[in-house]
Amino acid sequence: MLRLIAAKDLIEYLRDGRLYLAGGVVLVLLFTALGVGLERHAEVAAERVAAQGLDYDDWLAQPERHPHDAAHQGMHVFKPQSPLAILDPGIDPFVGSTVWLQAHRQSEIKFRPAQDATGLQRFGELSPAWVLQVLGPLVIIVLGFNAFAGEREQGTLRQTLSLGVSPVRLLWGKALALCGCVAMLLVPAAVVIGATMSAANDFSASDTVARFGWLTLGYGLYLGIAAFGVLAVSALASSSRVALVALLGIWIAGVTLVPRAASDFARVWYPSPSRLEFNTALDSALGEASARAWQAEFGVTTRWGTDVPLDRWGQALQLDDNVSYPVVDAHFERLWGTFDRQQALQEWLGLAVPLLAIRAYSMGIAGTDFAHHREFSVAAERQRRTIQDIVSEDLVEHADARGAGHFDYRAPAELWAKVPRFEYRPPSVLWAVRENLLGLSVLAVTFAAAVALAHLAAVRRSRS
Amino acid sequence: MLEAIGVSKRFGDKLALDGVTLSVEPGEIYCLLGANGAGKTTLINVFLSFLAPTEGEARIDGLDVGRHPIETKQRVAYIPEQIMLYGVLSGLENLRYFAALGTGKKMSRPELLDLLASVGLDEAAAVRRVSTYSKGMRQKVGIAIAMAKQARAFLLDEPTSGLDPKAASEFAQLLRKARDNGVAVLTTTHDLFHAKQTGTRIGIMKAGKLVADLEGADLTDADLEALYLKHMGA
Repeated sequence: MLRLIAAKDLIEYLRDGRLYLAGGVVLVLLFTALGVGLERHAEVAAERVAAQGLDYDDWLAQPERHPHDAAHQGMHVFKPQSPLAILDPGIDPFVGSTVWLQAHRQSEIKFRPAQDATGLQRFGELSPAWVLQVLGPLVIIVLGFNAFAGEREQGTLRQTLSLGVSPVRLLWGKALALCGCVAMLLVPAAVVIGATMSAANDFSASDTVARFGWLTLGYGLYLGIAAFGVLAVSALASSSRVALVALLGIWIAGVTLVPRAASDFARVWYPSPSRLEFNTALDSALGEASARAWQAEFGVTTRWGTDVPLDRWGQALQLDDNVSYPVVDAHFERLWGTFDRQQALQEWLGLAVPLLAIRAYSMGIAGTDFAHHREFSVAAERQRRTIQDIVSEDLVEHADARGAGHFDYRAPAELWAKVPRFEYRPPSVLWAVRENLLGLSVLAVTFAAAVALAHLAAVRRSRS
Repeated sequence: MLEAIGVSKRFGDKLALDGVTLSVEPGEIYCLLGANGAGKTTLINVFLSFLAPTEGEARIDGLDVGRHPIETKQRVAYIPEQIMLYGVLSGLENLRYFAALGTGKKMSRPELLDLLASVGLDEAAAVRRVSTYSKGMRQKVGIAIAMAKQARAFLLDEPTSGLDPKAASEFAQLLRKARDNGVAVLTTTHDLFHAKQTGTRIGIMKAGKLVADLEGADLTDADLEALYLKHMGA
């Protein structure tokens, strides 16, 4: 019976032209977004492979030179791009995919305004995720606003119910029709993703397939919320016109006003420092830690005076590095912890506005969220410290007391080869799912609530 | 088969049904006469559990419609004054859809066309979209839907409204055939002639009350008209 009801509704959507119009526009946008994403993915991947090889080769090809100069040259490392970035580029466009590993400081790429914006800026960017998140519910509204209200106005609802059709079955039949229409939108995305998975990348094919499966689950819940929500409003509304106005109002609030307000609210509730404040606090803490260490090690805090001649420069650099690591880690942990709490608060608000939950979940499973970026940044920082430790150790070993002549020291090319090539394996799908359990749970709970509301509304409508 | 036991229905201050008690047995056609607002349609709505009675109980096949709204509706076929169909579907598609919903079975195209032909709708008309139909043509599709259901009871609310005399006469024949097959029919009408022609029993409603409950065979046309006018206060 469900299929019968769904098939009838689908025929209606096709014959009255709504599916062609609404679905057609969305399909065109979806294909355009997929095309753009695919092209961007291919370009970035090609550039990354070429640049990473060149950059490490450049490091190895350095002539004999002072180790600290080499450390300042550093090297670039590149974040692997998830194939699912085609679907949801997440924060990648705002944080980039390159980290410059250089002496003294953890790369600032880890702290960009986009990190705590959680995709807010992406509203101006066309991606398949944006189409599904923002336009998917709109298509469902256009198709389903009169599912109950219109039938009630026409009298066909009464005709149907008089046959002994359960209102709950009628509801699920109509939901099946709506979900069937929206599912058609996901098929092209699946095809494109399938095609890109055959290309070599750092995410394994099985991992990508699994991630795509989890993404499908998330979007299924999200669009299911929209479908049952639309049906509930349609069943409760006194007319299809009222239903349409109410649903468009909810949609506008849900995709524009509330996400912005939620982002601001999260920042007010869990304040994060500005970039300037963060850097000032970090520099101050580093200065204090360094001064304490110098006092303990050398008995002075004055830099490069007579008490600490340049022949102890390597030792001093090593000392500064070692005391800076825990200070830097603590500051970034605090900052990232604040970002995490802001993010979690927004995901909880997804109970009222599911867009907030699916946006975070989608980025998380696609591998383009801040958590993935942070994992990469931590690995990159480990590599930077490896470089730093190797060159500082060499300076300690080759310390001499020639004053300014100290800078004449040239390390042999073999030293550069001690630095291993940067190898980074992105986190697995299970890690991504664990990181995004809150978002998934919020979507599941909201879906259950939408189904319950639609049930109540349909049963109520059948009695009036 | 169809029983109303002291059924009352109040809408705010207005008493739409006032303690109506009647029963329709298998093989009976009970015609309810009454002016607009007498409560005829309200009673049909109570039987269909679209309205819950304020007092009393309506039963179909012994089941309380309030407690068993789905099961009781599955046992009846309903034809309203104006059959509402899906305009973008053809008459044939509407019949296929509603018949499948009502019976849980898929009927073949020839079966559906036969059914439509039996109510006076030929194939050329059957495959046209319902949005192009006249009211009478829609009503015929509605009658076909009811027939397809092969229900044990019919609830008919002004079913011949909009039908031409020939179609109305054919419909009366269909009702008599259904009666002969043991179907219990409760039908509302303004049409005294139709009531006399088809009804085995005739009830007259006024201001929510059943003011007369008569055997059709005992009445002449003149008797019925006189009674009706008397109760209508003319």
